[in-house]
Amino acid sequence: MSITSDLIRGHTDTIILAKLMSHDNYGYEINKSIQQKTGGEYELKEATLYTAFRRLEVAGCISSYWGDEQTGARRRYYSITDSGRDNYKRLISEWKKAKEMIENLIKTEE
Amino acid sequence: MEDKLRRYVDGLFEEAAVTKKSVELKEEMIQNLQDKYSDLLQEGKPPEAAFNIAVAGIGDVTMLLKELENEGKNPPDEAARRKSAMFTAIAVMLYIISVLPVIIIGAVTDTYDPIIGVVIMFVIVAIATGLLIYNSMTKPKYYKESDTVVEEFREWQDETHERKQMRKAISSALWTIVTAIYIIVSFWTHAWHITWIIFLIAGAIESLINVFLSAKKKS
Repeated sequence: MSITSDLIRGHTDTIILAKLMSHDNYGYEINKSIQQKTGGEYELKEATLYTAFRRLEVAGCISSYWGDEQTGARRRYYSITDSGRDNYKRLISEWKKAKEMIENLIKTEE
Repeated sequence: MEDKLRRYVDGLFEEAAVTKKSVELKEEMIQNLQDKYSDLLQEGKPPEAAFNIAVAGIGDVTMLLKELENEGKNPPDEAARRKSAMFTAIAVMLYIISVLPVIIIGAVTDTYDPIIGVVIMFVIVAIATGLLIYNSMTKPKYYKESDTVVEEFREWQDETHERKQMRKAISSALWTIVTAIYIIVSFWTHAWHITWIIFLIAGAIESLINVFLSAKKKS
């Protein structure tokens, strides 16, 4: 479990950008969908999530705004920027390349 | 129980400086925790367990808080500070030198009108004052050490001070130049009985400049 977490953690930025590609979202909802997609096996620590948000925001990949819910709950929403979309595409192609390389490297000769 | 979540997060942020960013992060965290907590309750978890699960998901925030603290810092520009010091030094030097033409021309030669020395002096003074104005207008603003409210107040204070300085510099340059013009025109025309009007005009010009500056400040 912990090894898998370490492997996934390196791709936190890509995962967050992927979640924001379709629509704006807020922290808990993003984390919840990560948990659901991994069958409850993986969940980001909130500290990791917020650190990634700050990093992506400083890099200009995402922007944030406070939503105005009628229920009184004020949530901070994140939305992806154009440069964030470009970055997402770059990260995906990098990941595909790395995946192929790793598969080749760890394959044993038969 | 929601109060308990808030208290818990408040505890985490106890050491952090109160900045806009840290307050926003805290609110964001509390809101997300409350969402998670109510979801866990809906799944049928008892309140105590739901609280523990929600809190356990936070993780280590020390790095996050440290990052927040560093983000606001903006080191002052050493090169700009040096340039500003040089301008001030040159201006002061010019002020001191400015009397030399009067002394030299008065002592050395009889062929030139002593007024030329005075004219040169005023030109030098005008250049020096111009340098000071340019310096105070281009000087780097007060840099915030962090985003705290105290720093914001200090920055505001600094801005007000800067505007006052600029107004003072413009006023002193204006009156120096006006005096020069007054003396030159008077010696030239010998119309001493009427040339004092120049000062009235200068007063009007200064008021106009002040109006212009405060209009600019508002926009």
